[in-house]
Amino acid sequence: MIASRGAMVLLACLTGFVFLLLYGPLLLPIVSSLFTVKQGLVQWDQPTLQAYGTLAANEGILEALRNTFMVGISAVILSLVLGTALAFYVNSGESPGRQFLQFLIFLPFLLPPIIIGLSLLIFFREIAFPRSLVTIIIGHTVFVLALVYRIVLVRLQALSRSLVEASFDLGASGWQTFRLVLLPNLTGALAGAAVLAFALSFDETLITILVTGTQNTLPIRLWAMMRLGFTPDINALVTLILAFTTALCLLAARYLTPRELLAEES
Amino acid sequence: MKSAAPILTPSRLRDLTMATAAYILPVVFVLLPLATFFVYSFFSVQGVQLVRDPTLLNYRRFFADEIYLPVFLKTCRLCLEVAGLTILFGYPVAYLLAVLRGRKKYVLLLLLLVPLLMSYIIKIYAIRSILGGTGFLNRFLLWTGVIDEPSMLFVYNLNAVLLTLSVLLLPFAILPIFLSLERIPRRLLEASSDLGGSGWQTFRMVTLPLSLPGVIAAASFVFVLALGDFLTPQMVGGQSGFTFGRIIYSQFGAAFNWPFGAALSAILAVVVMLAIVIGARFGNRAAARGSSL
Repeated sequence: MIASRGAMVLLACLTGFVFLLLYGPLLLPIVSSLFTVKQGLVQWDQPTLQAYGTLAANEGILEALRNTFMVGISAVILSLVLGTALAFYVNSGESPGRQFLQFLIFLPFLLPPIIIGLSLLIFFREIAFPRSLVTIIIGHTVFVLALVYRIVLVRLQALSRSLVEASFDLGASGWQTFRLVLLPNLTGALAGAAVLAFALSFDETLITILVTGTQNTLPIRLWAMMRLGFTPDINALVTLILAFTTALCLLAARYLTPRELLAEES
Repeated sequence: MKSAAPILTPSRLRDLTMATAAYILPVVFVLLPLATFFVYSFFSVQGVQLVRDPTLLNYRRFFADEIYLPVFLKTCRLCLEVAGLTILFGYPVAYLLAVLRGRKKYVLLLLLLVPLLMSYIIKIYAIRSILGGTGFLNRFLLWTGVIDEPSMLFVYNLNAVLLTLSVLLLPFAILPIFLSLERIPRRLLEASSDLGGSGWQTFRMVTLPLSLPGVIAAASFVFVLALGDFLTPQMVGGQSGFTFGRIIYSQFGAAFNWPFGAALSAILAVVVMLAIVIGARFGNRAAARGSSL
């Protein structure tokens, strides 16, 4: 790809504007969580951490946070185990109907969350399964599975077949080959997939709001709080969540190459 | 391969077990729910009682009632506009990303991916605080003297939904376009400039046509995501910003008519599938034409 000097300047300006659109809105809650706001104007000379204190005393938020972590960690473990197993199965060559299986795995990622959420909601009611954190975990696992599966599959396919053949030639069993040859090669992909899956679960709202029972995750709690209006402690919470997700992104980026991150889009 | 082999040798049995295990979960938690939901769309509700006699009533109601079809078409149009806006702003960014090399490219890519993982709810909340009547945008416009009194053009209406969705979905438009730009062989661009094509000519006659698969993929991606959203219009749409997603959502809450909600979702699913197929089909065709160059 080539661009002249003038074109580069123009592109940079447009990109700058897009970054302003993407990141600008996020600055507002951060600033207003750290400074006093009077009549819609930020008092730059009055920094305060009061909002964070109010937040720490909010029992509902802390409970939602615990739920979010419980759901996230469960969904990560489940999707890692299942995603890896499915990627191995599909990659093993002679598996019947793999196209169809792959299609099923990708469906929850392709279809709008409202459809996946509603179908799970109706399904749970039909089998008389009460809505709880378990139903949220199932919803999240089904949703992030496609991502984990895809990342592991891309890395598996990049591995040379001769690695496995060499291992078998040297007398290793199937399990030994998996544990000693394949797994070490997949660690990076698995770690990256785990972080990404957790980040997605941490933020998942559209499916969760439909399958949730009385126990809520953080985004649902936040959604309920926001309908009542803007308060400083919401801004504080938003700031903390933003810091956390940014850290997760940077962590995921360490483990995954851009190609693997993008593979799910194509 | 010997065709006379017995059907259930130990390894065959193992294969079968593995296949069953691999299918159980996706079938139980993806296929069955979707099937249940589809079957539900043919049921009806009497009072608060679910009637399990198959009927086309829900679908007929969608076409016969003068509320649903117009809202549906209006929502589709809105989502197409969102797709158009995101491509308009996303294309230059994707192009810059494709031009850059080395570390700069990686950092920019990362910066574009970070907002994707940032809380959806938070982004809507933040944008709402900018668009509102006393929001940042209005105050900024007042301060610069562009307007004399707060503008109601983008406050709790469809315009607000359009703007919010566009900002939220921008990264989803940038990535597919970037990928398709990356796939263009460098020698084609060199050939074009060797033959005397100017930078603009090369872009218009080589780069742009070859990046079309990405543009179409981006459009179908953004369209599908926008169509399924119900929280954004709920948050920034206000009374007039009623969209199809909100109607579906309300059937499961206030209206408590699950079968009708399921039927409306089924209609949504059909349009979504269509958009995905069109995206893939046209994307592939454009890609095939590109590779034959």
